[in-house]
Amino acid sequence: MSRFLQWPGHAWLSLPARLYLGWVFIYACIHKIAHPGVFALDIATYDILPLGLVNIMAITLPWIELCAGVMLIVGFRTRGAALAILGMMVMFIVAILMALAKGLDMSCGCFASQAAAEDDPISYMTILRDSGWLFLSFYVVLFDRNPIGIDRLLKKRRKSDA
Amino acid sequence: MMAEETPKESFMSGLGTVLRDALLITAACGAVGLLVNLFHPEKIPYIAEEEYETLVPCPEPGGEVTPMEPADPALLAKETFVVDARAQEEHAGWSFRGAMNVPYDYLDPTPDEVIHELAKKIAKSRAQRVVVYGDGDRPDTGEQLGKEISGKGIKNVFFVKGGAPALKQPGSPGGGQ
Repeated sequence: MSRFLQWPGHAWLSLPARLYLGWVFIYACIHKIAHPGVFALDIATYDILPLGLVNIMAITLPWIELCAGVMLIVGFRTRGAALAILGMMVMFIVAILMALAKGLDMSCGCFASQAAAEDDPISYMTILRDSGWLFLSFYVVLFDRNPIGIDRLLKKRRKSDA
Repeated sequence: MMAEETPKESFMSGLGTVLRDALLITAACGAVGLLVNLFHPEKIPYIAEEEYETLVPCPEPGGEVTPMEPADPALLAKETFVVDARAQEEHAGWSFRGAMNVPYDYLDPTPDEVIHELAKKIAKSRAQRVVVYGDGDRPDTGEQLGKEISGKGIKNVFFVKGGAPALKQPGSPGGGQ
C-alpha cells in the first residue's frame, strides 16, 4: 500500500486531473457569475438552505469555483484549491441526494439554469458524474506535487535566492 | 521536468497547509463575489427579501392503478373488494353490490387516517383485488382514490373506466341494480 502511495507517477497523473477539474469548474461558474439571480433560484429549488442564505451562496459560490479552477490550472496553491473543490463536490452530492430523496424533478443547475437544462434532470447519473470529480479532487489533494505550475516556479526562485 | 518533492515524502505531508489554503481561497473568493455583486448589472440583494417561487413538479402521492372495463366479470368475484369514491348522497342513491363508500374530494383530500383504515379493511378481507369506481368524470374520483389506496401499499388496485354511470349501463355487472 505505501509503495502505491509513494509511486512517483502520481505527481504526473494528477496533472491532467487537475487541469481537467480546473476547466470543469471554470466552465461551470461562467453562467452562475453572469446571472446570480438565476443561480439563486436554482439553489432555492433544492429547498435545503434557509432563505437568508440562498443569495449569499449564489453570490459567493461561483467565485470560489472560478478561483479554485484557475488556481488548479496555473498550479498555484494547487492542493488547497483541490481541497476547496472537494468540499464543494461533497456539498453538491449531498444536495442532489437530498433532492432525489424528495423526488424533485429538476435540473442540477450545475452548468446552466433550470430553464436551460430542463432536458437534463438530476438522477443517479448526476451523482456518479459528481463522484468522479470528487475522486479526482481527492486524488489531486493527496498526490499533486506540482510538476508544472506557479508553485514550482516560486519554489525554484526561493531556492536560487537562498 | 521532475516532481520536486520526492515520493519518499509522506503523501499526507502538508495537509495542514492545504486546509489553511482551502479556507483562505473560500473566504477570499467569497469576499470577492460579495464585492463584485455591488457592481454587477444583475446584482441581487445579499439576503433574499421574499420566498423564491420554485415550480418543481413533485411526484403524485400515489401508486399505480389499472383501468378495468365496467363489464369485467371480475367485479362480481368474491375476491374483489369494491370501493365507491362518490359522495355519500350519490352512494345512498345507487351503489354497486357490497361497495364500501369512501368519498373522494379533490378540494378536500381524504384524511390519511381514513385511507389507512380502508387499507386495513382491504387487507383484512383477504381480497385479491380492489376495484374503485367514482363519478366517471375527467379526472375520475375513482382513479384518484385508487391511486391513494395503491400508494398505501395495496396491490392490484383497479378503477372502473367511466365510473358509476358506466356500471349502471345494461350489460355491466351492476346494470339494473
